[in-house]
Amino acid sequence: MGQFEQLVLTAILSLHDDAYGVTIHSKVQELARPKAVSLGAVYVTLDRLEDKGLVASWMTEPKRERGGRAKRCYRLEALGERALQESAATAKRVWDMISEVWGKDWAREWGKRWGKEVG
Amino acid sequence: MSSGPSKIAETIVGVFVPPACREEVLGDLYERYRSAGRYGLDAARTVPLVIASRIRRTANPQVLPMQAFALYEAFLGAAWFTNRAFLSERWGLPRLAIPTAIALLGLLLEDAYARPGARSSLQLARGPLFGVLFALASQGLLRMTDWGLALPSWILYYGCAFGFVLSSALRLLFPPASDRLQGISVPADWLKPAAAGVPKSRFLTLAAAVLLLAYIVWKRS
Repeated sequence: MGQFEQLVLTAILSLHDDAYGVTIHSKVQELARPKAVSLGAVYVTLDRLEDKGLVASWMTEPKRERGGRAKRCYRLEALGERALQESAATAKRVWDMISEVWGKDWAREWGKRWGKEVG
Repeated sequence: MSSGPSKIAETIVGVFVPPACREEVLGDLYERYRSAGRYGLDAARTVPLVIASRIRRTANPQVLPMQAFALYEAFLGAAWFTNRAFLSERWGLPRLAIPTAIALLGLLLEDAYARPGARSSLQLARGPLFGVLFALASQGLLRMTDWGLALPSWILYYGCAFGFVLSSALRLLFPPASDRLQGISVPADWLKPAAAGVPKSRFLTLAAAVLLLAYIVWKRS
C-alpha cells in the first residue's frame, strides 16, 4: 500500500460517518502538509482502495447545500483496518530504528522542528 | 452573491464527468464553490483524473489486448483483400495501427461513460460502434491534414465493418465490468474475470460472426 493510500485510509478512519470527497480531501491535505493534494487524486485513490476491497462506499440522500446532489460516503472494511494497522506498525518500526541509530535526543529535536515547520 | 456555480457551468462540467460518478463529483465541486474561476480551475484539475480512474475501472486488461488484436486483424484483413500492395508499402503496417488505436480509444471511452447496469446485450455493440465511428472521424481528419497517414477508403470501410463484427462478438463473450453489479463489498477487480457463466447464445453469436467473416473472405478470394 502506498503512502497516499495510507493517508486516505487514515482520513476515512478519523472522519467516521462523515467521510466523503470534500471532507476526505481536506483531511488528507491536513495530513500531507505542506504538500498540496488535488481532489482528483483523492478520487483516484478512493476508487483504487474500493477495488482492492479496503473501503466500501454508499450514496446518501441528495442535499440542498450540494445543489441537490448526493454524497458518496466511505467507510473502512475489515481488510482496510488491517492494512492500516500493518502500515502503522511498519512506520513505528522505522521510527524506532532511526531513533536507535541517530539517538533519542535527535528524534525528539527532529520531531519538534518538523512539527513547528508544518504547524 | 451566488452560492453555487451557474447551471451552464455545471452542465458543461457534467458532460465530461462519467455518469457513474457524476452525482458525487458535481456535488463535491458545488460544495467547494468559491467563485466561477475557482470552480473552473477545480473542475479542470479534477475531471481528467476522474475520467482516467473510471477508464481504469471499466477497462479489462485481459480483454483489451484481444480487442486490439481483433481490430488490427480486421484492418489487416481488409488491406489483404482490397489492396495487397498497400501492405508492402513502407509505412503500410504501422498506418493500420492508427485506426486500431483510435477505435480502441472509442471503446474505452464508451465503457467509461456507460451508465452502470443499464445495458442490454444488443447495447453492448454500442462500444464497437463508437470505436469505428471514432476511427472513421480520425481518418477524415487525417485526410484533411496529411494524406500520407490516412488509409485508402476501401481498406478503411472494410476494416471498420470487420472490426465492428469481431469487436462486438468479443464483447458478447467478455462483457465490460461496468455492466456488472458494483456496490458495497463487491470490489470491481473481483468482478472483472467473470468469464464463467457466459450464456451459450454468446458463443453462438461469436461463431456466427467468425462464419460471416470467413464467408466474406471466401467470396472475395
